[in-house]
Amino acid sequence: MTIRDKILIVEDEQSIARFISAILGANGYETLQAQTGTEALSIISSNCPDLVILDLGLPDMDGIEILRDLRSWSSLPVVVVSARSHEKDKVAALDMGADDYLTKPFGTDELLARVRTAIRHTRTVSGNDEVARQGTYTVGDMVIDYNKHQVLINGENAKLTLSEFRIVALLGKFAGKVLTYDYIIRELWGPRAGNDNQILRVNMANIRRKIEKNPAEPQYIFTEVGVGYRMAEGE
Amino acid sequence: MKKSRTAKLFSFSWRDFAIFVGIMFSSTGLCWLMRMLDNSGEFATLIYVMAVLLISRLTNGFLFGLAASVLGVVFVNFLFTYPYQEFNFTIAGYPLTFLTMLVVSIMTCTLTAQIKQQEKLRLENEKEKMRANLLRSVSHDIRTPLTSIVGATSTILENPDSLSVQEKRKLMEDVRDEAQWLIRVVENLLSITRINGEQTQITTEPEAAEEVLGEAVRKFRKRFPDITVHVGAPDSLLMVNMDPILIEQVLANLLENAVIHGGNTTSVQVSVSQEGNWARFDIQDNGRGIPPNKLNTLFDGTLHHSEDTSGDKKRNMGLGLTVCTSIVHAHGGTMEAANSPEGGAILTFRLPMHEEENI
Repeated sequence: MTIRDKILIVEDEQSIARFISAILGANGYETLQAQTGTEALSIISSNCPDLVILDLGLPDMDGIEILRDLRSWSSLPVVVVSARSHEKDKVAALDMGADDYLTKPFGTDELLARVRTAIRHTRTVSGNDEVARQGTYTVGDMVIDYNKHQVLINGENAKLTLSEFRIVALLGKFAGKVLTYDYIIRELWGPRAGNDNQILRVNMANIRRKIEKNPAEPQYIFTEVGVGYRMAEGE
Repeated sequence: MKKSRTAKLFSFSWRDFAIFVGIMFSSTGLCWLMRMLDNSGEFATLIYVMAVLLISRLTNGFLFGLAASVLGVVFVNFLFTYPYQEFNFTIAGYPLTFLTMLVVSIMTCTLTAQIKQQEKLRLENEKEKMRANLLRSVSHDIRTPLTSIVGATSTILENPDSLSVQEKRKLMEDVRDEAQWLIRVVENLLSITRINGEQTQITTEPEAAEEVLGEAVRKFRKRFPDITVHVGAPDSLLMVNMDPILIEQVLANLLENAVIHGGNTTSVQVSVSQEGNWARFDIQDNGRGIPPNKLNTLFDGTLHHSEDTSGDKKRNMGLGLTVCTSIVHAHGGTMEAANSPEGGAILTFRLPMHEEENI
């Protein structure tokens, strides 16, 4: 008998909390529920869940506040679920430290995929198990070789430039997770690079022309329009 | 009330003043030139009549038109009729000149005001019609699925024993499909609130066209896994100024329409290309095309109910297309529809782009 992952659902809408709890329960997770921010914070400190599903619109405080509070002392994975669909809200939550963001309405398969990814990322130090163990990341026909600084497609070097490789490497390290434009720019070009993401777009266009069969139909690096990029997850 | 009306009739604006000064100045200049060639001075009256006509037509209200006619008479008399630089009100035909200019000015001003008024009314009417159509189409788009959701769930709840597992499953699937349809209706409504009336400008940023296209296609594939999609993008990166979320919505709507209204669509071809200073998006399906009698009225907000003869689902394409047109127009773009010779519909929209943005 394995120990089941414990997930806290912070959601004031009963109907939504009920179905999330049901679908997670059916997939082998143990669930806890909180309806307010204060309740959520006390359950987190007393029950140590493995993941939090957090609704931003709570009766007593904004979900972003909970996130800020939580991030000051914990790196517990948080998947934000919200009816706020503007990409600015997504970027704000992600930059505040949310691991992922689902906009209501979302499908159950989408929810499960994000939960799996977020839990997996906490299990390993670097965020990606394979990278930590072997120094490579494989998805489909693509292999990112972190030691040789190469990306191989069907075993052949895709000949990325250094900055192109660094973008792919970063996305690969957090495969399955959306990284915001600002985050990528800050990580690669430093905090003073500014908010101009044109250079990132151009780099991404070049990367896709080197690694994707059809750059308009990416298999490896997906665009989250208005938010950032996400690397596909391998099996 | 009366005061404001008078104020409107004799309204002053610097723009009008500039037009007035400009035209009076150039016609006076023209008269000077003409006088050097021909000393008779008869042309002066005609030139000023034309100036009065132009000013009355181009400015708002009566103020500058009337001022031009008075000034015109004075100029003709003072500058261009013998004795020069002197007033002489005894010349034969002088009252006639004055009267002519006055009548020309008043009539032109009145006509101009009427035309402008009518134009405004027409625009308002059109907007009102658009809004009413939109509301009607939204109510229709919402009411049908709601009926089905309430009906199906009540049936299951009220008949726990008499329904077979299969029947229950079928009903629940309908509920899910209808709810998903509602989600898309709401997404369209949200897009409209983002465009938000005529004053607010949408916020555009240079975006990679291929990324927005790719994302729209990825979501479409998830929703319609049985449809083959071919995606085409140019070799060079196309950066286009847009609100990417809105353009994704346009693509999503057009892709969905290709399937729902194409009837027997099995494959869709989506592409983006550069056409001069425009980014051109094409969505082509292999369905049965758009009925020729609807091609002309497709984008004017008229309701179009899909005449699906097999049809349990009489969904109309009013909302989706209205939203697409509004979004594309808000970007300064154009939209058109055609049928391809092989059958099937081609929906095309173009967004303006600037030369220096091509990388």
